Amino acid sequence: MERLKEVLNQFDLEYLEEYKPTWLKAKLKRKEDLLPVVRALIEEGVKSCSTVSPTDFIDENRMEINYFLEDLNTKRNVWLKVDIPRELEECKIDSITPLMPSANWHELEAYSTFGVKFEGHPRLRYFLISADYYGKFPFRKDFDWEEHEKNVIENVNKISEEFFEEYEENEEKIGHEGSKTVLHWGPTHPASGPIRLKVYTNGEIIEKVDPDIGYVWRALEKLAERKDFIGTIVAVERVCFMDNTNPMICYSQAVEEIAGKEITPFAKFMRVILGELGRTASHLVSLGGFFGTMGLHTFMMWCLDVREYFLDALEDYSGARIATACIEPGGVRYPMPDGWFDSVRKAIKKFEESREEIEDIFLKNPLMETRARGNGVFTKDDVDTYYLAGPIARATGKKIDVRLDEPYAGYGELEFDYVGCENGDARDRLLIIFKEIAQSIDLMKQAMAHIEEGILKEEMNPKKDHLIRMPRRMPAGEAVSRVEWARGEMLMHLVTMPKSSNPYRLKIKAPSVNHTMVLDKLLRGKTLSDIPLLYGSMHICQGDLDR
Amino acid sequence: MSVGQYLFYILVFPGLAFLLFWTFFVFYFSRKTLAYIHKRVGPHYNGKWGSMQTVYDVFKLLTKENITPKSADPYLFNIMPILTPIVAALPVILIPWSPLINNGHGILDTDYGVLGLVVLIGVEPFLLFLTGFGSHNKYSFLGGMRVLAQMLSMEIPFFLSALSPALLFGTMNLYEIMYHNTWLTTLILLPGAIIYLIAMLGILEQPPFNIPEAEQEIVYGFYTEYAGTNYTLLKFAEFTEMLVVSASAVVLFFGGYRGLFFDSFLWLFLKIVVIAIIMIGIRAANPRLRLDQMLKFCWSVLTPLAVLNLAWVLFARLYILGG
Repeated sequence: MERLKEVLNQFDLEYLEEYKPTWLKAKLKRKEDLLPVVRALIEEGVKSCSTVSPTDFIDENRMEINYFLEDLNTKRNVWLKVDIPRELEECKIDSITPLMPSANWHELEAYSTFGVKFEGHPRLRYFLISADYYGKFPFRKDFDWEEHEKNVIENVNKISEEFFEEYEENEEKIGHEGSKTVLHWGPTHPASGPIRLKVYTNGEIIEKVDPDIGYVWRALEKLAERKDFIGTIVAVERVCFMDNTNPMICYSQAVEEIAGKEITPFAKFMRVILGELGRTASHLVSLGGFFGTMGLHTFMMWCLDVREYFLDALEDYSGARIATACIEPGGVRYPMPDGWFDSVRKAIKKFEESREEIEDIFLKNPLMETRARGNGVFTKDDVDTYYLAGPIARATGKKIDVRLDEPYAGYGELEFDYVGCENGDARDRLLIIFKEIAQSIDLMKQAMAHIEEGILKEEMNPKKDHLIRMPRRMPAGEAVSRVEWARGEMLMHLVTMPKSSNPYRLKIKAPSVNHTMVLDKLLRGKTLSDIPLLYGSMHICQGDLDR
Repeated sequence: MSVGQYLFYILVFPGLAFLLFWTFFVFYFSRKTLAYIHKRVGPHYNGKWGSMQTVYDVFKLLTKENITPKSADPYLFNIMPILTPIVAALPVILIPWSPLINNGHGILDTDYGVLGLVVLIGVEPFLLFLTGFGSHNKYSFLGGMRVLAQMLSMEIPFFLSALSPALLFGTMNLYEIMYHNTWLTTLILLPGAIIYLIAMLGILEQPPFNIPEAEQEIVYGFYTEYAGTNYTLLKFAEFTEMLVVSASAVVLFFGGYRGLFFDSFLWLFLKIVVIAIIMIGIRAANPRLRLDQMLKFCWSVLTPLAVLNLAWVLFARLYILGG
């Protein structure tokens, strides 16, 4: 940490301060310094860019760009800020993508939503929003929605013409020479989900993959700006329906940090249990989906059968199975119902009963091994370069887990360790999910034991301790909050204005963006049959890819 | 034989009505069994235990609009679904179905029964390739190419293993093969039967060899553009082929309609259902292979084994059955 401070102090900084145990927060005076700083940081081992988040301060006429740079090996992170002018012509900054490939799509996203031009980016293009999105840059504070709609209605013919032109261009490319063709894998493909991969193939061999995303873009980050601080939880939980509790934990932590409040120990452990319930429910779908990509649906059905019990537990607590809205700033939303632990234990028992069957029939299946072993390998260096997160990174043996690196909620008081596999191939990415479910269940048991002990000692009151009073209006401030989501690190950057009743800016970083970014590298040279398998092995959810 | 008899054979048994009944039955049976393994209920509401569900499904498909895509070759696209079920149903005349038909022989009692079966079954994939070709759709075309690749490699172990009973008994007449069959010869032919069943999965495009119609990869391959009646006809052809190939397996290796206590079509049907259950079990527990892995398995494992099996059958004929 001291070494990083020295490095940063060589440059012209407005301020440099420590933030949380693992972060350094620094603001550059001049935007020209950005590339030298990043180069120096890379030499110190800070090799991955978590995300790039511009904030539009329209009153001060500046655009503040936040870079969240992380060192995944020693867990030293740098939060770098730099101001640039707000006018569209002047809104330019050097791209860090040539230095840190993991920033690639995050810069594209910043360009498409805020109009920040990243000079030197290898392929700057409109992204998320379609290329024919008239009246660009929807996240700017002065984005005129009515003007935009008018434009779209007036130009609807042009938009569709452009679409057909692009379509015909692709058709021409097939040609009748050789067996080269462009396949559109999605968005209505049986295994794709709402994403389109333009697959350039030669016969069955893939030459290039170009993902086209944005089919389920709901502008959740913008939606959050229109809601109050509690209402925002229903926006963030919709990042992805499969694991819906953890994003709310992430957001609530950021709000609590700005308000300067500490939640009760009871609420902390409740967050652990709810978070792990969400993670398990999500992982069970991932497990089943992996086999679904190879045309075997039995496992999916069995996993959904088990998942029902975990959703039952969520329902018993919150009244909803999928969109639970059960965690809010200040703690958890409801007092604990009597006997709720029984339904959690029932779910755990159901999983442990079917565990042996699952292992014997599916995880040791020889045909699965034939297809997945040694296929689509990621190394530890790839994790650094592209910032692969969560299970994908742990499958390579890398020790990454926000729950351990930067303990939040009640995780600091629980005993657990990094899980991991060794090879980083598709098979390991399946096995790691199974190991993580086992770990989640262990964590749930520990957290339940803590709560029961606390109730016995009369330190916790399950009917009163769930929520602390939060101020209705927040002071000005900004916070970064991270949680280990089912698919990897989720980072939220929250900015508030003085006496505000709603967020000024909420940036959500979700791991599927990076996981989709590497598909080209992953699939090049493989055959068509590998697309669903390897795509499924990345456990991508389009909800958090587009937001 | 009289004209009435021929009409009965063509229209009722083992012709059209029987094949339709089989289609309804196997469709329902596989759905229900698969649902049981999936821990689901499966067809439930229509008829007793949902038994009318597939009948309704088929008639729903028949009433749907028949769409010919703009880019497809209209003649090829619409003729192939008619040709395919006819070719698939042709081998029915070679198979001895029941002791009551033609004195227990096949309707066409020929000394080249095995050869006829093998050739007629082998023609089918080329028709499927043409359906994919006629669709003029990238995914369908890829599916058609995969059918060809799979057929070219699976044909050889399939034919070689189908030859083993003919070699053992010294005849290609299906009726005679069936009547020579004893418990001992069934044991001798067991390796051949296993190879036949594996190759059969490849020829019927069943998991783990359902590579040509992999929905997650190439969107059901050659089926992609078909809807309504054409789709029904293609599915009908698929189920008919399934019946023919499993019935040939039973006739060649497991004694056809001969059974304990009495000989009847029921025994043949029971044996076919057992094969269907094995197929569904494999389908429910195994993911799909990749095309190149299938080719490798076929050429470097299955084909050599099929050749070795022939050697074993010749050895058994000379030294166990005593020439």
